[in-house]
Amino acid sequence: MVIPNYWLHFEISCISCDIFVRNQTDLTNASREPVWQCVWKMTENSIEISKLTFTYERGPLALQDVTLNVKKGEIVGVMGANGSGKTTLCFHLNGIIPTVYAGTEKGSIAMCGLDPWETPIIDLSQKASMVLQDPETQFTTTDVASELYFGPANLGVEKEEIFRRAGWAAEVCGISGLEERKPQELSGGQKQRVALAAGLTMLPEVLILDEPTSQLDPVGTTEVFNVVNELANSQDMTIVITSHKTDEVARLASKVLVLKEGEMIAFGTPKEVFSQAELLNEVGVNPPAAASLAVALAKKIPDFEEKYQKSGGIPLTVKECYDLLKQLLDEGYLKIEWHEPAQPKKVEDLPVLELENVTFTYPARIPVTALRDVNLTVNKGEFVAIIGQNGSGKTTLVKHFLGLLEPTEGAVRVDGEDVSELTIGSIAKSIALILQNPDYQLFSISVQKELEFGLRNLGLPEEEILQRVEAALDEVGLEEVRDIFPFRLSFGDRRKVAAAAGIAMDPEVLILDEPTTAQDFVGRHVLCQIATKMRDQGKTIIMISHDMDLVAQYADRLVVMAEGQIIADGPKREIFDMKDELEQAFLKPPQITQLSQLLRDYGIKENLVTVEELEKCFKPGGGF
Amino acid sequence: MAFEYVKKDTPLDRMNPLVKLLYMAFALLLVVQCTRIDTISILLIWILIASVWWIVGKVELKSLGFLIKLLSFLFVFLFIVQGLTYRFGDQTVILKLFDFPVAGGAVNYGELTVGGVMFGLVIALRVIAVVMVIPIFTMTSPMSKISGALTRIHVPQKVIFMFITAMRFVPLVQESMDNIIEAQKIRAFDLDSAGIYQKLRRAYIPIITPLLLLMFRRAMDLEVAINARAFGAKKKRTDVEDISFKARDYIGILIIISTFLLCMYLLYFDPTLITWNILVMLVTGISSAVGGALYTFGITNLITNINSALLDIPVLNVIGGFFNQNLLTGYGAIIAILLIIYIVYRLIRRRTKKKKRAKI
Repeated sequence: MVIPNYWLHFEISCISCDIFVRNQTDLTNASREPVWQCVWKMTENSIEISKLTFTYERGPLALQDVTLNVKKGEIVGVMGANGSGKTTLCFHLNGIIPTVYAGTEKGSIAMCGLDPWETPIIDLSQKASMVLQDPETQFTTTDVASELYFGPANLGVEKEEIFRRAGWAAEVCGISGLEERKPQELSGGQKQRVALAAGLTMLPEVLILDEPTSQLDPVGTTEVFNVVNELANSQDMTIVITSHKTDEVARLASKVLVLKEGEMIAFGTPKEVFSQAELLNEVGVNPPAAASLAVALAKKIPDFEEKYQKSGGIPLTVKECYDLLKQLLDEGYLKIEWHEPAQPKKVEDLPVLELENVTFTYPARIPVTALRDVNLTVNKGEFVAIIGQNGSGKTTLVKHFLGLLEPTEGAVRVDGEDVSELTIGSIAKSIALILQNPDYQLFSISVQKELEFGLRNLGLPEEEILQRVEAALDEVGLEEVRDIFPFRLSFGDRRKVAAAAGIAMDPEVLILDEPTTAQDFVGRHVLCQIATKMRDQGKTIIMISHDMDLVAQYADRLVVMAEGQIIADGPKREIFDMKDELEQAFLKPPQITQLSQLLRDYGIKENLVTVEELEKCFKPGGGF
Repeated sequence: MAFEYVKKDTPLDRMNPLVKLLYMAFALLLVVQCTRIDTISILLIWILIASVWWIVGKVELKSLGFLIKLLSFLFVFLFIVQGLTYRFGDQTVILKLFDFPVAGGAVNYGELTVGGVMFGLVIALRVIAVVMVIPIFTMTSPMSKISGALTRIHVPQKVIFMFITAMRFVPLVQESMDNIIEAQKIRAFDLDSAGIYQKLRRAYIPIITPLLLLMFRRAMDLEVAINARAFGAKKKRTDVEDISFKARDYIGILIIISTFLLCMYLLYFDPTLITWNILVMLVTGISSAVGGALYTFGITNLITNINSALLDIPVLNVIGGFFNQNLLTGYGAIIAILLIIYIVYRLIRRRTKKKKRAKI
């Protein structure tokens, strides 16, 4: 019998992070007891958390009374708005919290029978491996191959086994062939896949994924979730995954946990949780469109709820929803009455942005042709969304409008003038780009100063600067934090500051680069609503996004890109019918559009894009 | 980045990084001993052999050009300062820039002497001799091999990780910097058109501040990341790379040691005879050939005329006889003219490159 010397480790871990205070009284002999118990208590549950409350040192209450048990081999989806404590919960599971971040905690956790507060992190990290949100920072080595070897080599795994695992992980994550690349030669999506693969090579008992697909296109996301599902089934791995992508979570998770400001709002199977659609909308979680539709119909049509409860619970996927609706339509319980969706306003032929035969090659060790002979004209007052796979050249394209990149061949014109002839100041006056990462631009001592910076660069008079700053702060709803140092704000708010700084420049064209990255459901809609309002004032909006729901809801015109070329361009409802092109761009239409396509035989004449549009088409049929 | 590893599959690529480290150590050992002017030849031999390594390792000459460019300012500075102040070698005056007699006119610190410039050259060559060996190490050894090799010689795991992280952060800082500059450009902040004084005073604040904040945040995240991946879990990490010594490594060591010994031999036993004479022959040969050619084409005459014409210009000749040397007649004039032409050219280019003013 081996007596584990946790006691010794415990002391060491306390010394190394003496800033955290648990219960001081716990440090007496009494605290040894639970350690011994943990060692002997072998249970089926991989994760047991009871009444966990946590407060960051000099920070807010991050978790409150969280209790949950997760069985081995289960997939748990953790959902919630930004700042709801998802990441904090993840940090608890693999010991990051007592070791790296300090705070006070009540309640208890057992990870595979170990208590993170009493077990040194190096023991825990062999049980639980974590993939972080930002793929950039977790790249610990200088190339992909050694990144994959890093984890298992730390665990002292046999060399042959390391190679086997790395090969397998690269294969399942779709990064084979990139082994010799350096981090700066990878796109954001590829980096995220590398991070996931690096987590997989550890072959942990519990895999914790914090937003593993935030920068991936829809097909890539589905692939990653399928990998996760495969691991849970075949390897009996327990997986905790935080994500804003409800469709995927609903499809695969065995349990869903919803958090709001650190409190548990709901915990249960996806069907149980997503049937409370209204509650979820309230806490900033977007239920899958199929579930939202079912809930909306249940309100309008009597007994609809009973019908779906009888046939196996609320529908979560397109297929489930279609089967249910088909059955009810065939029975005559429902009928469809075509309801024309609102058509976008016609815009005049007044080109604002023009690309003419633009080709662009990045000069690098391996020259990458990011754009091939692209032609695009954007008219005044349009809301254009550029969609496409990771690395298809979307960001490269918009950088040309700003003169940040000069085309290798071809011409770029803004308002009829060649961009290369314009000064940075005059471009900034007419075009604003809101970046994915606000931290690249925030530097001032207060939010207000931050907004003034760009305006001062333009050399505007003092009164006008003040007036514009007021207007922009009002627009994004940040008046209350105007004197706060931007870096102290949450990521979502920082992003809003960056957006306000762009809006304050009063541009003719607003470009949003991936408004969804690390943004919750509410945050992404706020940006889009601001953009829509500006469009109504006659400005031109360009949005780059992977989020098909968002694109379908707000944009009028879609530009589909693949491998540096524009492969489709037109009104959104038409684009969603181009199956081949979408497939080539690794995209798929949103759930509602897929449903409306399936229901075409029943009288849905066009592609519909929002839950409301489709819901309006259903009427009670009368037949029972 | 100019000095990163790129896989090329050359014998140097497969060589053990420890051998290349040894090479660097010997380079340092050599330059510590080569301090006199007559060691130029030895340094040149060392550099010549190092460039053979470059060719074998297929290291791009472009990066050598980049190195020289990086150091060129230092070299010019060395030539001038040493040329003006070093008074132990050949006292022949190349250029008399101004009058600054010391010790009753025995030494004039306004004169650029041949011996001084040569001594500047020695120092420059010493720098090059070491610097040339560094890319042989960094550009042909993958990080994983370096860390494996360092583990083998019992460098602590934490030190190695620090080294790797530093290498990882260099391109990251570069990338973040580019992104930040772009982000500020979007907000009409134009660094390129700001004057130097403005740049120093305030222009870098919007770039350095986010960079520092971002790097602090990244460092914090990195700590989480390595903890999440069990760094330090086992005393002994698995070495993924095979870093055992092979035949080619022994050959490499042999070549390095014999090169070093050759240089040592030349330095201590036969310092001047062979190589120094060859060097002197080369220099005199080239200069007399060039001088002869210049004379036959009448350029020397032309230069003398230009020189006297320049001496007649009232303000210029006040600078203390800038063009007034007997030896190497008028070379100063050529240099001055070229310099003026270059400055004018840069000024004109800058003007034409300025973009159209803003339209409002």
